[in-house]
Formats: sequence, C-alpha cells, structure tokens
Amino acid sequence: MACVGLILVLVMMMISPMVVSHTRTPVDVPEAHTGQREVQNDISIILTKTGQYLFDDEPVATLEEVGSLVAAQVARDPYVLVVIRADKQCYGNQVLDVLSAAKKAGAARIVCATKKLTIKS
Amino acid sequence: MRRRHEEHRRNDGLIVNSLVDIALALVIGFMVAMPIFFENGIFVSAPGVAQAGGAVPSGSDIKANVFLANDGRILLNEITVSEDSLRVLLPRLLDRSVERRVVISNENLVLYDAVVRVMDMAKQTGASDVAWLRTRTAP
Repeated sequence: MACVGLILVLVMMMISPMVVSHTRTPVDVPEAHTGQREVQNDISIILTKTGQYLFDDEPVATLEEVGSLVAAQVARDPYVLVVIRADKQCYGNQVLDVLSAAKKAGAARIVCATKKLTIKS
Repeated sequence: MRRRHEEHRRNDGLIVNSLVDIALALVIGFMVAMPIFFENGIFVSAPGVAQAGGAVPSGSDIKANVFLANDGRILLNEITVSEDSLRVLLPRLLDRSVERRVVISNENLVLYDAVVRVMDMAKQTGASDVAWLRTRTAP
C-alpha cells in the first residue's frame, strides 16, 4: 500500500511539470476565473515580456514568420487550436498583432492562455 | 527467549502505517493543487478593425462594446463606467442580446492583463462570444 502511494506521488511529481504547462518556455500568463481546458494537439505562440516570439518553443524572428508557420500547420489541420501564451505585462496591441497574424494565416480557433485565478482581486 | 527475539525483530521493521498516510496525503495534496496550476484558455473571435472610441457597429442586435482607454477608463457603448458597474451592466445588456457577443477594443498602451480581465468578466457575466477588435485611430 505504501509502495503504491509513493509510486503515485513519484508519477505525479514527474508528469506535473509537463501537464501544467503547454510548453517549456515559462510565461506569466494573465489570471482569469473562466477558461476552458483543451486537451488536444495544439500549437502555441509565445510572446514574452521582452517582445520575443516563440513558435512551439522555437524562437521566431518576425511576426510574418509566425504567420507562415501557422499557415503550414493550418494547411495540415484546418481545425488546429492556436494557443497564444502572452506575458501579462505585454501591451494588448502586441498580442492583437499575434492574433491578427494567426487569423491571416487561416487559424479558425484561437485561444488566449490564462491561469486559474486563485485570489479574488 | 525465542518469542522475545521475534518481538524485537518485529519492532525493528519499518512503520508502514505512517508512510501510507504521508503518501496518500501527498497524493491528495497534488490532486487538489494541480488544477490551480493548469493553464486554461479564453476563446477569442478573430480580430477585425473597429472605429476609434469603440463605436457601436450597425445592426439590430444589442451590442456590448467595451473600450479600454490608456488612462484606465472603461467605456461601455461609449459611456464611461467603472469596473464594478460594468460587472452589473454587462449581464443586463447581454440578456437583451441575441448573439450575446462582447466586443472589446483598446488603446495602444493598454496592457494585455487588463484586456484579459475584461474578457474574463464578459465570460463570467454570460457572454457566449468575445471578440477583440483593433481600433483604428480617428483621422
């Protein structure tokens, strides 16, 4: 019994970092009460605090490049979910630019990543 | 003598009961804490271009247009409201709307966090669709 419990703890400790975040890049996403959890294959576009773009953890120089990468994914799967993981300190318009680029590339389903709000502000 | 030796050996063994308790407490702790750290997402409709100042687009349905200004003001259908009154007014507007859509637009210096806060509020108050529009600077 103790062994089973300890194995469960070990398994949870190992898988939790993978499950909790979509990607390896840590981003301080905004907090929200609402939000849907999507467990499926998706692509993530990361916008860091410094304004750097990452496409599935790979740095991308320009927004046009992000658009072409999204377009390539959309060509493979038109219903691919595009997750925008932007730092909460970014300007809204920076995120909107990413959103526009994804939309232009043909993405139909776009999600802004948030984390669960624990303390009511 | 033999019995005493056996009793002594039994006492030397690992106390499994407390280990089980600790392991189960850790498992429960993990299960409770995990959802807090999960990343969720708010579905956003594709951006378009709106008029500066969050002008109400033409159409018969009642629209809820929220505009966030650089100075922190929130405009609901071009009327300045506080965050608390937005929380009260938004569901009233959405109740009369067929599409139950909230259109959010912002000025260039508004932080993403503030936009997500309004999106979250819209979802909480019953919006079925949240659209984020780009504002065009007035000529």
